Amino acid sequence: MRTTFQTELDQLEAALQEEGSLVLRTLRGAMNALRRRDLELTDEVIAFDDDIDRLYLQIEEGIPSLLARQTPVATDLRLVLAILHINLHLERMADYCVTIAKLTKLVADVEPDPTLLQTLEEMGDRAEEMIRVALDSFANRDLAAAESLVDLDELIDRSNRRFVERVVEIVAEPGMREWVLRMVLVSRTIERIGDHAVDVGEQVAYLLTAEFREFTDASHPEHRA
Amino acid sequence: MRPVTMAPMRPVDVAAREEAQPELGEAVFEIQGLTASYGANVAIRDVGLEIYRNVITAVIGPSGCGKSTFIRCLNRMNDEVAGFRHEGRILYHGIDLYGDGVDPVEVRRRIGMVFQKPNPFPKTIYDNVAWAPRVLGLKKELDERVEKALHGAALWDEVKDRLKRSALSLSGGQQQRLCIARAIAIEPEVLLLDEPASALDPIATSSIEELMQELKRDYTLVIVTHNMQQAARVADRTAFFSLEVDDGGRAGVLVEYDETPKIFTAPSDKRTEDYVTGRFG
Repeated sequence: MRTTFQTELDQLEAALQEEGSLVLRTLRGAMNALRRRDLELTDEVIAFDDDIDRLYLQIEEGIPSLLARQTPVATDLRLVLAILHINLHLERMADYCVTIAKLTKLVADVEPDPTLLQTLEEMGDRAEEMIRVALDSFANRDLAAAESLVDLDELIDRSNRRFVERVVEIVAEPGMREWVLRMVLVSRTIERIGDHAVDVGEQVAYLLTAEFREFTDASHPEHRA
Repeated sequence: MRPVTMAPMRPVDVAAREEAQPELGEAVFEIQGLTASYGANVAIRDVGLEIYRNVITAVIGPSGCGKSTFIRCLNRMNDEVAGFRHEGRILYHGIDLYGDGVDPVEVRRRIGMVFQKPNPFPKTIYDNVAWAPRVLGLKKELDERVEKALHGAALWDEVKDRLKRSALSLSGGQQQRLCIARAIAIEPEVLLLDEPASALDPIATSSIEELMQELKRDYTLVIVTHNMQQAARVADRTAFFSLEVDDGGRAGVLVEYDETPKIFTAPSDKRTEDYVTGRFG
């Protein structure tokens, strides 16, 4: 039994789960700041990204060292590769939360459209759930949970489409134009967070099955892999 | 130079890609139900696999799993060992190696072997390589044969000016390449390498590993190694042997045999996984 190696692997995985929980916190913060137009909170979300980046770098730097010294193979190799990719996806999600916070700041003085705001809140809740499912599927080595992310993603995509329909109705209203344009980006950003959660699920499936496959094919969305 | 056959071009079928296996050439060895024993001790039990032409096949496994016994069966190197017996068949191009009328000397001429410790004769570099051809009466154009073998073993440039010096003046890595030159001087078809680099430093090891890639164009190579990373680096196919304990005692068995990348990324058998990841025992 390679005890030192196993300890290092466990530490990397624990750091990744910690990073995941920070991403959940920052997403919650970004969505609360959006709803409350809370400028103090937006700044906190932006500053908090440094903490996530620190963990991201710690994992990113730990992996080459582990590969070089321990040359993992088989499940260990797939685990290290999955951690490498999931780390990147989590960091990207955190960056998207910063984007939401910055967009919120730009239009903080505009009274939001309640319907659109509600849709965004729904999307934020779903994205949060997806991140949680993705992290748990990884922790529990649960293929079915990883694959269920595709269905959850469909719900975000549906909200995103509903959002766009409403935008078309109100974009002509003067005074709302800038807010609406910014919020289109917020909607798109939350939708991307969902996509990254699906990508995390794909890494979990790779770890468990040794086969990499995309759960959905962007160019042939009707065909699920 | 052997002609290279290209697979016919066909459209890429994405769905079928994961099923596609690299094409394997002709089987040089077909090993069927091989059990080998020394007296009452069974070293390997019921081993069956095929070894393919111009491919490097690695045999890995823990100490005592019978991997050396296995490759020594492939050129009847065990014949002289007291108490050695075998059951099952080893077909070499369809001919039973242990069949009646098969001359073990002829077997070893076609299936050469290189051992763990370089074992040059205490003679000149030239005489080491020329020894087997002389014994076999291949005396015509001996100089050319020696030069060709030394080229083949990537040693020529280092020794061409001192062919008459003692082989024992060479470094360990050079001595091992000399042993490879000695083995290929009689143009065998198969080279069996039993831990060929385990007594060498990393630089000499990497030159042996590079040489193996050159050699596989002309020869079929089977390497026994306890160094898993070496198997992962050099072999096209890898056989994992393990030690099985049951009522009948302990014996080596073949657990898994597949493409090397498969063995080291997604082995099918839990025992292989445990061994390659270091969770064995």
